[in-house]
Order: sequence, then structure tokens, then C-alpha cells
Amino acid sequence: MRKYLAAYQLALQNVLQRRSSLIMDRVGGVAVLASLYYFWLALMNGHKGFFGYSKAQMISYVLAINVLRSFVMTGRGWELVGDISGGRISSYLVRPMSYGGYSLSLDMAQKTVYLGSAVFEIGIFAALVRAQFYLPRHFTAWLGFAATVILSSLLFFVMEFMVSALAFWTSESGGPLFCFELFIQFAAGAFFPLDVLPKVIRHILDLSPFPYLVFFPINIYLERVKPGETLRVLAIQGAWLAVMLFLASRLWRRGLRGYAAEGG
Amino acid sequence: MKTASRYFRIWMRMAGMSLKAQMSHPLGSVGFLLGKLIRILFFFAFVVAIFKNVKELGGYDLADMALFFLTFNLVDLGAQILFRGIYGARRVVEEGDFDFYLVQPCSPLFRIMFATLDFLDLATALPVLVLLGMVFERLPALGAARYALYALLTLNGVAIALAIHVLVAGLAVRTQELENSIWVYRDLMFMGKFPTDIYGPAARWALTFVVPVAVMCTFPAKALLGLLSPGWILYSFCFCLALLAFARRYWLNSVSQYTSSSS
Amino acid sequence: MPCIAVESLTKIYQAPEKEPGFWNSVRSFFNRKIRHVRAVDGLSFSIEEGELVGFLGANGAGKTTTLKMLSGLLTPTSGAATVLGRVPWRREAELQRRFSLVLGQRSQLWWEIPAQETFRLNQAIYGIPEPEYKRSLGELVELLDLSECLSVPVKKLSLGQRMRAELAAALLHRPAVLFLDEPTLGLDVIMQKKIRAFIREYNAKHKATILLTSHNMDDVSELCSRVVVIERGRLLYDGSLQSLVARHARHKIIRVDFSGPAPADLSAIGTVVSNGGSRAVLEVPREKVSERAAALLRSWPVEDLTIEEVPIDDIVRGIFTGSGRGAAS
Repeated sequence: MRKYLAAYQLALQNVLQRRSSLIMDRVGGVAVLASLYYFWLALMNGHKGFFGYSKAQMISYVLAINVLRSFVMTGRGWELVGDISGGRISSYLVRPMSYGGYSLSLDMAQKTVYLGSAVFEIGIFAALVRAQFYLPRHFTAWLGFAATVILSSLLFFVMEFMVSALAFWTSESGGPLFCFELFIQFAAGAFFPLDVLPKVIRHILDLSPFPYLVFFPINIYLERVKPGETLRVLAIQGAWLAVMLFLASRLWRRGLRGYAAEGG
Repeated sequence: MKTASRYFRIWMRMAGMSLKAQMSHPLGSVGFLLGKLIRILFFFAFVVAIFKNVKELGGYDLADMALFFLTFNLVDLGAQILFRGIYGARRVVEEGDFDFYLVQPCSPLFRIMFATLDFLDLATALPVLVLLGMVFERLPALGAARYALYALLTLNGVAIALAIHVLVAGLAVRTQELENSIWVYRDLMFMGKFPTDIYGPAARWALTFVVPVAVMCTFPAKALLGLLSPGWILYSFCFCLALLAFARRYWLNSVSQYTSSSS
Repeated sequence: MPCIAVESLTKIYQAPEKEPGFWNSVRSFFNRKIRHVRAVDGLSFSIEEGELVGFLGANGAGKTTTLKMLSGLLTPTSGAATVLGRVPWRREAELQRRFSLVLGQRSQLWWEIPAQETFRLNQAIYGIPEPEYKRSLGELVELLDLSECLSVPVKKLSLGQRMRAELAAALLHRPAVLFLDEPTLGLDVIMQKKIRAFIREYNAKHKATILLTSHNMDDVSELCSRVVVIERGRLLYDGSLQSLVARHARHKIIRVDFSGPAPADLSAIGTVVSNGGSRAVLEVPREKVSERAAALLRSWPVEDLTIEEVPIDDIVRGIFTGSGRGAAS
């Protein structure tokens, strides 16, 4: 455990060291936040609500997207693809730590900095545009939100890890990861609430793990999901996490075997 | 003239080489292609779904909104197809390929910008053009002059994108630690998916005068719809020229400060 | 006029100061300190056409930085240099068409596709007419034994094959000046010999001026009659390899085989390098060699005795580590 903590601390310093990268990353996030905010504002103009969201709820959804993008939708996928194609995987395997655990430590470091930055950004942004936003009335909504966000961030990490590990087979390319990242932003609700989509697509998506990454956690925060249902969401997240962990570790081991055989 | 034909030959060579390199991992390329199609189709579906519930947005109807969105895609794809090489700029500088660019009798900027021609994006351009054709169909008859102006302003948008890419390349050469500046550009361009009129006054000002997303993506469509005054049209072209000149100077200065990586 | 002329060349790098610890990284996030590093410091030398010169120095002595300035990659902080009469960092095409830079641990070859694709690209870049390209390629393929490597993706080549393909890519346009940075790095002994033979041949055949850095002393002793040695960015020595050796090799080596077991104490003869069984190796001051050898023969029953020069490798290493400094400065 201690070595992962050490890796986390080192990575934390590294994130801060690369100052311009960090600032650039965050500026880009704010641009997306601003365009979505104004889009919905223009749309809400003259309407009381939309798809069952009040104005304050919709604006909070957009602000929350920025937080979840920073805390849930970060991963080490591109680094993993780079390590596979650059042949560096073997050098990690001889170290006395698991590659997955090591990656998670580094990811956590980035999540820490990005989360802090995201909260700061939406604070400033909301104050600048005098946004009306929604605050949950019940303590349970906060609690449910925190719990689902932690689970979904783990779920995202494992899923991304799995997709990146496909690089063992796709001749060292990040194609699948690229496709996954774009798809998941829509399917998870990181651009717009999934209620916008036709009912059929919604129902299909609900059978997948994607809405549990962003859409459900935010809806718990907005108290559009009842406390009893929150437990159901948590259970489904947990189940998906177990399934993905199982699949990811099998895929990983199989990939490594082929990798070693080729002498990569 | 002789130089131009030599550069054209170099560009054709690099394009052919990048096609061969892309072919060497077909499975990965399919992933990239699929991802890009998903992005365009999902967003288009989103805009259509929204208009199932509202008649207009910021004074624009569905056809107008689709025009703005597709114009953004046109400019964005144009830049992506032609200047794809910029995404490798950090690697090129970090791993020292740039050293080779600098010692060879061919502009290193040209090498960085045009290192790869993206055939995948060429494929993504197809649905965009088809959709654009459908939108043109739904617009009232506008006359050839409007369409010519639209084409010119779209090209102007691509030229501004070129200038921005040159600035990013300069940054990569100068700092070497910068991997994200092109992604900021991508994220800022995101704002061009909607007509910039919907944004607040401060954002609109910034998008017109600082980060010219409005000039690149919104102005061509507005000109087609007859909503852009001659003053703004003139401004668009002048802004582009000024930015290109500045980007050139910045690039030359960056190269003179290049420190090469240490190995 | 010399082919390469360097005059008081100086390069100072600016690097952000990096301090360990979490709070230091938070602090440096907001307020960054800059440190100045003098990589090359008032360096002067000149090289005539057709010379093959070894450029030596320890790691970080400024060799690569100098080569990069001479290639036009870096602009010096101060000082002047010309290659073929032109200032390299102006990067004029007329000069670029006439020289080449090979960096041992770098590759200009495209990874996923065969090397001949990169060759064709270089043909377009240097504007080499087709017949000339064919002739040049044919010659390089033969000299470098490349015929089997041309149509294989570069990533599938061995390190030695890749290095040879790299050399071919750099020489297609027949440069008159060639900068080689560690051309034999990581190669096995046979491959090193091949590369060296090629460099010598290219130098002789095309009267090319070659400046070569290497940590491999065999490269230097086999190829270069003249060496330029730098340390901390300053010139330490410029002259023939022999006189560098003579100046610093203040010792010779005596190898001796005794008829019986070797005597335990030989310190009266010289510094004992090794002593085991019936054989001993001794280091003896140059001017006392014959006297000490005679003493050996007089005092013990000797089967065989040889007197050798100290290997160049050791001498140069000695210069870098400071043990041979006295004579040079």
C-alpha cells in the first residue's frame, strides 16, 4: 500500500510540475462548460423547464458535467497504449507493484488536482454569469452523489483500462480507445442529459454501464432519483464494476501472454 | 515555381507514406474512423432531438442550426485533414525528429504541419458534405454570390485554423513540455458547434476578437443566410491576414530559441 | 579557407530549477526559478576539407551541443562558426544540401514502413534527380550491405540494420560534410567494424569532411588521426591522436611470465596491476622502462617479457577523470 501512496505523491508533484499542460487542460474544460451553459440558457429562454428539468437543475447538470469530467472521465488509457506500443510494459512487470495499481495511483493524483480545479472553476464561472444552480435539500443526496461518483470513477478507470489493453491486438494503436472516449461522452451523458434521446435508445443505454458513469450520479445530486433508488443505482454500479474488473484482468493477462511470446 | 513543385512532390510523398503507415494497423484505424463518425452523428442527432421540442433557438430554426453545426465541421475537418501533422508535433520535438527536419533543405514548419494527410478524416468528410447538401436543399434560393461568399469565408476559416496551428507548433518547439495546447484549440472550437450569438456578450466578444471561433465557424453560415454586414466580412479577411503574419513571426522566433532535447 | 571554422562559440541553456518535495512543486507552480547552464564555453577550432576528426569529451562536455550548433539546430548564445563558408544556424538550403547529421540514438526513418520510403522522401526533399539517386542508392546498398533491409518495415529491422539504413538515408545526397554522433552506439563488435569500414571508405572516396563523436575508442583510434578534446565546453586538446597518447601515456605496461610462481612483492619495479600464478602485469614510468625490465630479468627467472603502450581507451578515460590532467593544462 505504501508504495502506491509514494507513487501517488510523486505523480501529484509531477502534475503540478507540468504547469502549462495543466492550465491548458483546464482552460479547454471551461470552454466546453461555457458553450454548453449558453446553449441551454438560450434553449431555456422563455421555457420553465425542459425534459422534466427545471432551469436551475439543467444549469447545475452542465456545471456538474465539468466536475465529473475531471473526476470520473480521466484515466491512464493513452499512457497504457503508449507503454504497450513503446515496449515499456515489460519494464513495469519486473517491479514489485501491479501495473493496474500503479496506474490507478497516478490517475488518482490527476483526479485530485483536477477535482480541486474543477470546483474552483465552476465557482468562478457561476459567480461570473450569476448562474442559478440547484443545491440538494437532503443530506442523503450529497451522500448518494459522493458514493456513486467514487464508484463510477473506478468503473470508468477499469473500462478504459480494458479498452486500452486492446492495443495488445490492434497493432499498437489507440484506435479503439479513441472511439471509446468519444462514444462514452455521449452515452454517459457527459454532453447532455440522456433524457433528450428517444425512449428506445434510452432504454438500451440503461442496460449498459454507461449512464451509471455521469447521468445517474448527477441525477442523484439533482434529487431526481429517490433515495431508495439511489441504493439500486449503487448496486448496479457495483455489479458492473465487478464484471468489468473480471473482464479487464482476463484481457490483461491474455494480452501479456501474447506480448511476452512476441518478445515485446 | 521550382520550389513549389518540389514541395508538392514532398507533400505527395508524405501523404503516400502516411497512407501506408495507416494501412499497417487497419484495426486501429477503424477505431479512429468509427469514433469520428460517432461524434458527428451523435451531435447531429442531439440537435435534431432538441428541435423536436422547440421551434427556434436564439432566433434560428433547425435548418439554420444544422448549417452552423455543419459549417463548423467543414472548417474543423479541413484543418484536421490538412494539418493533421500538428498532433504529432510534441512527439516530433520530444523524440528529436525535429532535429532532422531542421537540417534538411525543406521548411521544418511544412514538415510538421503536413507530416500526415488524414485519409480517415477524408472519409468523415463525406457524411458532412451529404448532410450539408440536405441543408442547402431546405434553405430558400439564395443566389450564387451568397454561396461563393460562403465558400470564401469557409476557406478563410481554414486559413485562420492554419495560423492557429502554426502558433501551436511554435509553442511545441519553444517549450517542449506543452502537449495540450492543440487540445485547448479543439475544446475552444467546440464553441463553434453553435452559432456564437447564443453566448453571453463577454464570450461573444472574445470569440470574435481574441479566439476567432466566431469568424471561423459562425460568420460563413451567417453570410450565407444574409445576416453578415460587409464590415464584418472585411474584418474576417483582415483578421486572417494579420493572424497569419503574426503566426509566421512567432514561428521563426520559436525556432531560433529551440533547445533540442538533451540526448 | 577551412571547411569548418569555429570561433569562441558559446551556448548557455536556461533550465527551470526543480526542487524535490510536494510544497516545493506547489511553490514552483506559481513562481518558477531559472538556472543557467554553460554547455559550450568559448570553443574555437577549425577543420580542413577531407579531414576525419574525432570529437571527444565526457558526457555533458558539450560535444552534442557543438554538433547541433554546427548543424544549425541551435543558435549559439555568442561566438561564430561557418561550415563550407556559411553560417549554419541561418539554415540556408545551399548549405543543407551539402551536409548531413547522424545521431546514433535517433532515427529519421519512418517506423511502420520500409526504409526505402524514407529514402524516396529524402530524394524529394534534397531534389536528387532520378539517375543520380539510383547511382547513389546502389552504391550505399552495396557498401552497407542493405539489399535485404530495403523493403522490410523499419520496426522489424535489427539495431545494426537500422543504423546502416540510417546512414544510407543521411548520405543519399552525397554530403561533403558529415557530423556523426555516436554512430556505433549499442552495436555488436562485427557491426561496429562494418560501420567503421564504411565511414573510412566514404571519407576516402568522396573527400568528405567528417566530425565524429564516440565513446567507443576503437572508432577513434581506427578512424581519426586528429582529435579535438573538450571538457565543460572548453577546448582541452587539439592535435594528433599519437601525441595526445604520448603526452598522457606517462607509463608503459610490462607483462612478465616467470618460470616459477610470481614473487609476492614487485613494488620496487612498478605499480602492480595484477599478479597471480606465474604472471604479473606492471605499470612502469615511461623513462624507466628499460632499467626496470633489466632489473626484473636480473632478479628473477623470467620466461617471457613484453612491453606495451597503455590502451588509448584508458588514456582518454584518464583525461576525462582528471588523472592525466597535469600534462594537458
